[in-house]
Amino acid sequence: MTDPKPARTDAELGRTLADFSVPSEPGNERLAMETVAESAKGLGFSGENLERLKTAVAEATMNAMEHGNHYRPELPVELQVLVTDQDLLVRITDRGSGPPPKEEADAPDLLAKLEGVQTPRGWGLFLIKSMVDGMNITGDEGHHTVELVVHLEAEGGK
Amino acid sequence: MDVRHLNVEVRLEEGIAVLDLVGEINGFAEEALNAAYAEAEAKDPQTILLNFEGVDYINSTGIALIVGLLAKARASHRSLLACNLSQHYVEIFNITRLSDFMSVFPDEQTAVVEASES
Repeated sequence: MTDPKPARTDAELGRTLADFSVPSEPGNERLAMETVAESAKGLGFSGENLERLKTAVAEATMNAMEHGNHYRPELPVELQVLVTDQDLLVRITDRGSGPPPKEEADAPDLLAKLEGVQTPRGWGLFLIKSMVDGMNITGDEGHHTVELVVHLEAEGGK
Repeated sequence: MDVRHLNVEVRLEEGIAVLDLVGEINGFAEEALNAAYAEAEAKDPQTILLNFEGVDYINSTGIALIVGLLAKARASHRSLLACNLSQHYVEIFNITRLSDFMSVFPDEQTAVVEASES
């Protein structure tokens, strides 16, 4: 993991709390999630709200490593943690090409999975959307970015 | 950050096969989890209890592995139960609807008593 860079101020986006990257290797989503969690604690995130954020970051980082970077360790997943007056934003960028992933995340059909009609996998996007207030996906020729949005009002600890 | 690979011990408790899970339930856990489940199934219990007391991380791949165990249990007409999940993972079991198909108990003792009485 590259060291988190010093906080900087961006007038348009708000304040950057962390800016770092992790190699695309299985298990590194925990490194990403713990680093983001350390930044969020300074905003008053704790308890279940912190756990939800951690799960969303871990799942989005896993998706970036797997689907965007195909677990090629030389391809980093970049993470930015930003805070505005209203929101905590976590931006997770991979080196994926082609159209960005779809944002739709209907609840997976557990019964179909139990009966072998569907693969047991496919929970990541659904978990992400269940854990945060919003999710935006953007992309260009060489990058996909997932932006997680958590309203600070909900934290009561901004 | 080192991955805490899953270790599983299998024991019988009043006729219930208890799987004591210690570590992370992620993609690395597949072999250990399936081997432990097979060991438990070989004892031919009516009920298998997953004890999550030593688990501090479950990701979506881990959820898929648990779905796989639940599918096996249903196919062989066994009950699969869970206990000692943290509040956060109880929420995840609820939103994924896993808790609709496997009862979740706060601790092992409660799970064993409930399973013995049912």
